[in-house]
Amino acid sequence: MSINLDQAQQTFIVEAREQLQAMEESLLQLETDPGDDDAIGAIFRAAHTIKGSAGLFGLEPIVSFTHIVEDVLDRLRNGSVEVDAGLIAVLLKSSDHMLELINVAANQGGTLPPPALQREVELCQILQEYQAPSPAAAPTPAPETNPSEPGETRLWHISLRFGQDVFRNGMDPLSFLRYLQTLGEIVDIATLTDALPAAEAWDAESCYLGFDIAFRSAASHGAINEVFDFVREDCEIDIVAIDDAAAPQGNTGLVTTSPEPPEENTALVATGELLGDQRKTPRMPAQIATDKQPVTSDSKGKDGTYVRVNADKLDELINLVGELVIASAGASLLARTCHNDPLQEATSSVSGLVEEILDGALRLRMIPIGETFNRFRRVVRDVSQELGKDIDLIISGAETELDKTVVEKIGDPLMHLLRNAMDHGIETAEARLAAGKPAKGHLHLNAYHDSGSIVLEIADDGAGLNRDRILEKAQERGLVPQGASPTDQEIYNLIFEPGFSTAQAVTNLSGRGVGMDVVKRNITLLRGTVDLDSQTGKGTVVRIRLPLTLAIINGFLVGIGQSTYVIPLDMVQECIELSEDDGLASREQGYLDLRGEVLPLVYLRDHFNHEGPPARRQNVVVVRYAELKAGLVVDDLLGEFQTVIKPLGKLFGALRGISGSTILGSGAVALILDVPALLTQIAQAENRFNPTQLQQANAR
Amino acid sequence: MGAIATTRQTALAVEEEAQYLTFMLGTEMFAIGILCIKEIIEYGNLTVVPMMPAFVRGVINLRGAVVPVVDLSARFGRPNSAISRRSCVVIIEASSADGLAQDIGLLVDTVSAVLEIPASQIEPPPSFGAKIRADFISGMAKVDGKFVIVLEVDRVLSIDEMSQLAEASPNALEVDAP
Repeated sequence: MSINLDQAQQTFIVEAREQLQAMEESLLQLETDPGDDDAIGAIFRAAHTIKGSAGLFGLEPIVSFTHIVEDVLDRLRNGSVEVDAGLIAVLLKSSDHMLELINVAANQGGTLPPPALQREVELCQILQEYQAPSPAAAPTPAPETNPSEPGETRLWHISLRFGQDVFRNGMDPLSFLRYLQTLGEIVDIATLTDALPAAEAWDAESCYLGFDIAFRSAASHGAINEVFDFVREDCEIDIVAIDDAAAPQGNTGLVTTSPEPPEENTALVATGELLGDQRKTPRMPAQIATDKQPVTSDSKGKDGTYVRVNADKLDELINLVGELVIASAGASLLARTCHNDPLQEATSSVSGLVEEILDGALRLRMIPIGETFNRFRRVVRDVSQELGKDIDLIISGAETELDKTVVEKIGDPLMHLLRNAMDHGIETAEARLAAGKPAKGHLHLNAYHDSGSIVLEIADDGAGLNRDRILEKAQERGLVPQGASPTDQEIYNLIFEPGFSTAQAVTNLSGRGVGMDVVKRNITLLRGTVDLDSQTGKGTVVRIRLPLTLAIINGFLVGIGQSTYVIPLDMVQECIELSEDDGLASREQGYLDLRGEVLPLVYLRDHFNHEGPPARRQNVVVVRYAELKAGLVVDDLLGEFQTVIKPLGKLFGALRGISGSTILGSGAVALILDVPALLTQIAQAENRFNPTQLQQANAR
Repeated sequence: MGAIATTRQTALAVEEEAQYLTFMLGTEMFAIGILCIKEIIEYGNLTVVPMMPAFVRGVINLRGAVVPVVDLSARFGRPNSAISRRSCVVIIEASSADGLAQDIGLLVDTVSAVLEIPASQIEPPPSFGAKIRADFISGMAKVDGKFVIVLEVDRVLSIDEMSQLAEASPNALEVDAP
């Protein structure tokens, strides 16, 4: 049972995080359009759901804090509080705080660090201002302000008959009772065992118990009823007020304690609010039902029919599929050597299916980048306020899908680039107006597919990079030798060098020169590249190019002597046979005439120091990466192969030009070429013969 | 618990016999503690990794895992081992500074035997004269009246050191102009 509850709690935590995400999005939506009732409704529902489920798990800190937030939201919903910037700000902070509380709950048994507690108190105070019904009412909701039930607690009789399936539905009756206690005091409780069957008919997973509870609380019928929202469907619940027995307790401890420690403070507000709630229309079951309906239909409409699967299970599956691919390739190879036609046919249909399974399995891991992009709305909003700039974030290509791991790991570098663009790229409103541009700055986040990789673009319409200043700084730091004349592109990319910063002032956000190199390193770790384009006065575009997936690539097998290498198929453009005569001529020149185009050649046999004479007939594989194009000269072309990437390990960390390895159907290991690294390495090596650029090459 | 562990350790160091795998490299015999050895396989099907220092022979497929093979002779600064019918790869679990274990294959000429050598038969390493780096030697064991060099596996197969060597290797930097 406890395991089940743990799992349920995990689900709650995951869902609560999603709810908070949705809440944040709606808040930002509300900020742009203050009259948006749907957004208010969505925010309220998110907070309400979190509170409800948190109560179920007895997560008291979340319940008490969320309750205050929910109350303010309720007032917002019925129009007694107006939407203003301050309110949005405090609600955003509150949602951050709720996230923190949930994270604490997720770590089980952890407590909030003191600064967070401090923040909670501050937030509560601000929220209270919005919560106070009117200036006439005292800040502490004193009992006498409520004419109907002034702080008087009543005695309720609650009769509970839990449904048999309550355990199977992941509910624990005990937690409801625990949550009930937050509303008042359980005076007496009787466990009803009359539904217990005979021992032989007993099913350990069924719940046969009922409870009769005498409950003393100041809460309204609706509020008590709400406690059982989650089990109402299959339980019999009867809540009756025992009016005569109402003990006029007047001042309960909770209401009158002076609000000194933060815990007490929130508790006080919570109780006070319940009074207020009661003053208004008590929330009746029917109303809750209509409340709830849109939530379910909403979320259903949004995420279709999703199955939540543990990421580990998915990874395991993909690993297995990877092995399956290798095994089936091995089987095909064997079948071919057997010269048995039916067998070959059978293996080829198997490998066809395996490929489909592989594609399907890989698609499981693909998630749209949009979620990550949307997170940045908040960042842009906060940072632009902090900087006093008016910046608009435009998002496109949010539906572009890429590997989950990549999405997770690209968040930080993107965040960094965005902050940089906002801090350094986009000018202040005055400077923009002076330059004849609209005062509002624009940031554009875009994602699209391009030749087997995904490209993420961060574009701003700011001042652009100061080419001369970067060059000056670079020369100062010895990154570029005096007198050298690198291209604009090279100069711009210098900002990715470690410790490079041209900012005159170090701000809170950026300018310390730490970061761009980290950004580049993180992207390189994902087997991606980053480059930058800038036009003075018009803005900067940073382009991140990432592989679609990390685990498996389509490879093109080539042979050099006895060794086999894999070239990522996305980069292969075409293959040409190099006849003996051509071979000799181009060997001398180092390039090939490809339909009138100069194609630089890389003799992999020489480059990799393979011994032995080259094959008489050689082949050229034309590869392209971004703007670089080259011909790799190899002995044999061995065809396409689905390649499961196996990392080479730390020992080969310094190895450039080879990104990993894979196991062929024959059981031999083949190395995967890292074409971009290979080409840049060769370009650098050639530059070394050029004395003016010698220093630059070394500096890199 | 702690007490038991300490007694065990001292016992191991002082009198208990430990098992060692002995193998030949050229005409010399070496030994390594058996505890870090996972298996011994026949040499074969090796894929050469280019642009690596001479002591990294290449990688092999060990039941689906790609395992690097280190030529022990080259690691000691001698010429590469000549491959013969009796060449073997000893798979060893090596640890690096960040605590991650990685399997590494050790190419040796011949595997001889598993011996029990009492700690009393192992002498401290000489400070020089063994022709291999002193920190590679854990001790000198006496077996049948001959000295056998017991290797300090963690030092010999230090991934951190070897990857640094790979980085600084002239082989790795040497790029032929096409």
